[in-house]
Amino acid sequence: MTKNKIGLVLSSVPGYSETFFRNKINGLQANGFEVILFVDYLNPSDAGFPCQVVACLDFNSRSLKTVLNSIITFLKAAIFSPKQSFRLYQLDKNDGVPFNRRLKNIVLNQFFFKQSLHWLHFGFGMLSKNRENVAKAIGAKMAVSFRGFDLYLSPLKHPNCYDALFTKDVRYHVLSQGMKQTLLDYKIDPNQIYIIPPAVDIEFFNPNKETVTNQNEVLKIITVARLHWIKGLDYILEALAILKERGIPFEYTIIGDGDQKERLLFAAHQFDLTDTVKFVGRLSPNKVKAFFEESELYLQYSFQEGFCNATLEAQAMGLLCVVSDVESLNENVLDGLTGWIVPKRDPKALAQKIIEVAQLPMSEKHRITQNAINRVKENFNLEQQHREFLKFYTQQSFDP
Amino acid sequence: MNKKIKIAIYSGEVPSTTFIERLINGLSKMGHHIYIFGAQTQKVNYTGNVTLATYKKGRIPKLLHLAKYSLLLHLFKNRERKKLDGMLGKVSKNLLYSKVKYYPILWHKPDIFHLQWAKGLEEWKWVLEFDMKLVLSLRGAHINYSPIADPELVLMYNRCFPLVDGFHAVSKAIGKEAETYGASYDKIRVVYSGLKLNDFKTSKVLKIETFQMISIGRPHWVKGYNYALDACKILKTKNFNFKYIIVGGSKDLELMYQIQDLGLKDYVVLMDKISFEDVKRLVESSHLLILPSVKEGIPNVVLEAMALGTLVLATDCGGIDEVISDGKNGFIVPIRDSRKMADCILNISHLTKIEISNIEKEAKKTLKKQHLENQMLKDMNSFYQDVLNGKAESKNLYD
Repeated sequence: MTKNKIGLVLSSVPGYSETFFRNKINGLQANGFEVILFVDYLNPSDAGFPCQVVACLDFNSRSLKTVLNSIITFLKAAIFSPKQSFRLYQLDKNDGVPFNRRLKNIVLNQFFFKQSLHWLHFGFGMLSKNRENVAKAIGAKMAVSFRGFDLYLSPLKHPNCYDALFTKDVRYHVLSQGMKQTLLDYKIDPNQIYIIPPAVDIEFFNPNKETVTNQNEVLKIITVARLHWIKGLDYILEALAILKERGIPFEYTIIGDGDQKERLLFAAHQFDLTDTVKFVGRLSPNKVKAFFEESELYLQYSFQEGFCNATLEAQAMGLLCVVSDVESLNENVLDGLTGWIVPKRDPKALAQKIIEVAQLPMSEKHRITQNAINRVKENFNLEQQHREFLKFYTQQSFDP
Repeated sequence: MNKKIKIAIYSGEVPSTTFIERLINGLSKMGHHIYIFGAQTQKVNYTGNVTLATYKKGRIPKLLHLAKYSLLLHLFKNRERKKLDGMLGKVSKNLLYSKVKYYPILWHKPDIFHLQWAKGLEEWKWVLEFDMKLVLSLRGAHINYSPIADPELVLMYNRCFPLVDGFHAVSKAIGKEAETYGASYDKIRVVYSGLKLNDFKTSKVLKIETFQMISIGRPHWVKGYNYALDACKILKTKNFNFKYIIVGGSKDLELMYQIQDLGLKDYVVLMDKISFEDVKRLVESSHLLILPSVKEGIPNVVLEAMALGTLVLATDCGGIDEVISDGKNGFIVPIRDSRKMADCILNISHLTKIEISNIEKEAKKTLKKQHLENQMLKDMNSFYQDVLNGKAESKNLYD
């Protein structure tokens, strides 16, 4: 077994903008680890990814090819990895996994069997579903990262989906104290939960000019978020309608795309905000940075967040940040110190806070943004994240 | 004179919505010959003169369907078939599938082709080249909100609405909305949805202490359930004793999350879709039907609740004020305003029996005045006759 070999399991190869995993892989490699990425499928654009990538065959389509692939894969597992296959079968059996599912698990997880790993690390909670025994079967330690939606939404959609996982010997990575508490509520051993928040490339997200320079009449507000209901964007629009009613001039830009675009465009239309709200779609980090530079106020009014990189980036860029009072965001922003926290689902309170913040004296705005910049630089930088991940893989246990 | 007309009612899927199914049965009983085209997903039983020229989903049924109508057209209407093929060759992206859909219509050639959904309008303008009149229903997302988010759709409407011979609007509000996309005022006829009051006989006796509220409909954002749940949160904090059922809302992650987030698990139930009879029973045993939508025409569920003697609280979301007069036969609150919704629910819960009975009586009066099935059929019939005679503009029902 290679001591420094880590298998990272994701659904697909991280794109250029998915900085978290790219940074993590870079950091591990720089510290002498070998990383193998396991994904469900490959895209043509994945060529040249800076580590070995192993993709699972497609077993989802209902075709003759799938049947043949399944038979061949099962035979491969039985012939070339008999020990791992048998172990997985036995472990699943001990867990009361039905016979058909046990065979299916051998086929679906065969692509792990030939790898000799020290750690098998699932990048999202749901990726470990039906793979709870794979790490043990191949003689690796098991780690699982929870990123937010997988901890809060997946169990609603798939009740009891982590029942099996939570009985296993697993090291957990979470992004915030709030997420840690949720795992503790599931009776997870505190020694096995490690908080590593996201990190910001502070070299890149570095305000080139003096922050809070907006001397214009028009308050420039921005949010970076998927157009998903959990981001609470329709409540933001409602708050902005209040601003408009009070005659406060503003422009609001939402960077991001998603399946709720029609809903939000229609809400903007009904709130009579079509002229003041812009949906600019998903943008590259360079363009996001350019928008940050043009804006004064950042809003993140989600119902739920893992941690929220975009809010960190906005703080790093010297924007005034107003966020909702939800787990993780209240660790991301410190109320009254590095930004402001308002109750969730309360457009009136949000509107009131926006007005208050906009009317603060320049010196106070400066104080807050400078605090935020310093805090992000000190606590959420890439070097620190790399160090934390090293500890994650090398320490025996963590201090609760 | 009331001419017997060959009318194609096209919604793409068979069976279709309640309104359309009622229309088909009613018009055929009036002696018109009704043609149904499109994909058939379930068995249907129509009475009267109804020709089903539908196909089942799947490649083989579609091919057999195409073969039948290709042969018929080849043998008896070859010139017209060639003309249609020539038109399709220029525009159709999937020629074979287009033929599956279009050939039966060319073969039967109804006097009126009544399209139910506006988004498909462009692909049906060919019927005008074959002496068929094109009628379009103005309903639902197609008019209410999709164009707001889709500038291409607006351009298409601007191009195609002037070609349409007559528009059937489910409410005055939606008719006005369509005018902004180029529908001519003169060609719009408002025909309200109608129901048979006899189907909604009720023996309503509510003795439950808990205030029972209900909403019916798929869990789509336009239904505004998130605002209703926010209102429930306000009611909870005021210690109001209530239950709220959303029929059709089960398995919706956003609603499930919001219920958990707001601590409403003991107050709100998300239910699967259930049969029409079961819906009626549930509505009948509720104190209040809530329509929290951000945009609607005139939803049938509001009319049905009124017929069942259940109070209705609806948002001012489009055509609602054409049915409900606030405080008289139901209640209206502004859209996207959970606080006002919660206040209104509390006020409703304090109504006396006499007040409730008066509102119910007024609701029935409204239904009798403008939402009876016979009236709907009479209006649709006269609309079709006028379209056929080129007089669609002569009886506009706008104020």
